[in-house]
Amino acid sequence: MSTGDPAPAGPRVVPYGDRAVLAILGEGVDTMLGRRVLALAERVRAASMGGAAGWGAPVPGFASLLVPVDPARLHPDAARAELAGWLTEILATDPPAEPAGLVLEIPVRYGGADGPDLPEVAARCGLTEAQVAELHAASVYRVFCLGFVPGFAYLGPLPERLALPRRPEPRLRVPEGSVAIAGRQTGVYPFATAGGWHLIGRTTVRPWDLRRDPPALLRPGDRVRFVPAGDEEGG
Amino acid sequence: MLEVRVPGLHATIQDAGRPGAAAYGIPPSGACDPLALAAANLLLGNDPAAPALEMELLGAELIVREPCLVAVAGAEMEAVIPEDGRRIRPGTSHLLRGGSTLVFGAARDGARTYLALAGGIDLPRVLGSASTAPVGGIGGIGGRPVAAGDLLRPADPDRLDGAGRHWPGPGPASGVAGHAGPRTIHVLEGPHAADLPRDALRLLLSTAWTVTPRSDRAGLRLAGPPLPPASGPEPASFGMTWGAIQVPAGGAPILLLADHPTVGGYRVIAVAASADRPALGQVQAGDELRFARIDLATALRLAADADAELAAAGARLRMAEPMA
Repeated sequence: MSTGDPAPAGPRVVPYGDRAVLAILGEGVDTMLGRRVLALAERVRAASMGGAAGWGAPVPGFASLLVPVDPARLHPDAARAELAGWLTEILATDPPAEPAGLVLEIPVRYGGADGPDLPEVAARCGLTEAQVAELHAASVYRVFCLGFVPGFAYLGPLPERLALPRRPEPRLRVPEGSVAIAGRQTGVYPFATAGGWHLIGRTTVRPWDLRRDPPALLRPGDRVRFVPAGDEEGG
Repeated sequence: MLEVRVPGLHATIQDAGRPGAAAYGIPPSGACDPLALAAANLLLGNDPAAPALEMELLGAELIVREPCLVAVAGAEMEAVIPEDGRRIRPGTSHLLRGGSTLVFGAARDGARTYLALAGGIDLPRVLGSASTAPVGGIGGIGGRPVAAGDLLRPADPDRLDGAGRHWPGPGPASGVAGHAGPRTIHVLEGPHAADLPRDALRLLLSTAWTVTPRSDRAGLRLAGPPLPPASGPEPASFGMTWGAIQVPAGGAPILLLADHPTVGGYRVIAVAASADRPALGQVQAGDELRFARIDLATALRLAADADAELAAAGARLRMAEPMA
């Protein structure tokens, strides 16, 4: 079955084991794709709440949606067919607008001990450290998905001028609150964990707090802006 | 009620996990061997997914503070009650006397053993589950593995009737797990099997893989011939599922288990059949794994058969000894 032929590139819904299916809408960090992913997730939730059996809670990726199914109540092939129909409809229309009002502001101390990779990032991008911070803080970012650990929000798209591949060797321990970039993505480490992104600053905002309900500060579709803290120090 | 004197290598509270929380980045967690969890619970008349103690490779030493009805299932861990010399086999239930101790040893024929208490271990649910997710500090006791001094309280402390039962279900008499020798795991072709060179899937299916010591509840890291990498950039991060076999750039596959990251960017060449979840929960470092490809219809039939067997065992148990 695996012929080595190039994979079909278009949007598709593929099997993903016997308890999930995967809708692949496209590739890359693209706000329009991200909105369509959430529109598809909404269709799944609506079907589930409307009484359709066997749908699990969908998990957004950047350009895909994992949909768990309970095969005792919903055949994965039937789920794929249903999703493919919804996907066709969603791709044929403009994705619904996301709430534009609220932009969460996250204060960041750029550089120094808080952002040990800032000098290298600046050098590799042909910018000064201040210009990197300015560029990073100039965009409003969208939350595409959460993971790899609880509360880590994948934000994007990062300005093209700041896009760098991940570090060749991940750090074993990135301090909590670190603000980091990789590719067209940026994010805040919710707690100390291993990580391969470039650390350019740090925030006191906690994306993950068990005293909150839900503990994750951000959800897919939310919007975020970084604000330089203490300009007189960070400038 | 039991007090942990020595926690052993890695003991955590686990139930069926919190599969609905993945969109927050929270791993599903839950028992690595859900069949053994169910067996331990059903022996006590509990909900099959009630919270129990999952012990990995080297078990705990527990002090019995108050008389306590318990059941054990999963790998044979040479459990004893030193005070009266009783041995506690997997797949049995027992009444423990106050003041005695329950001492587990090293796992012999699997990796994980489950200890259930009457009514389940009494703990608050976080996002619908008492399972421990140490990354993120959720669930269990303080969001961490069990430590010396922790108390395990039965949700139904007054139920002391139900000792002496034997698990009548799948698995050899020595335990519920009891898989010995090289294991064959059924897999379905994964979403990126066709993106990888055609030799990759062939090599995955023809190799006897060795489970490395860098394996844990998040995943089994496998050693063998490196799988040839795909050309082109890795996919944008997408949702991960239990059983997904990832192919990182170095070509050494990782099979994801209960504590897996919720999203990742490595291609998924194959996905283990859910019916093999109990077997994969009993794998330990040094074990050999082979993969056999099946189609979706076969995977669904295996899962339905396993569900039916568990239900039948539960029914036999209730008929043999009606429980309140």
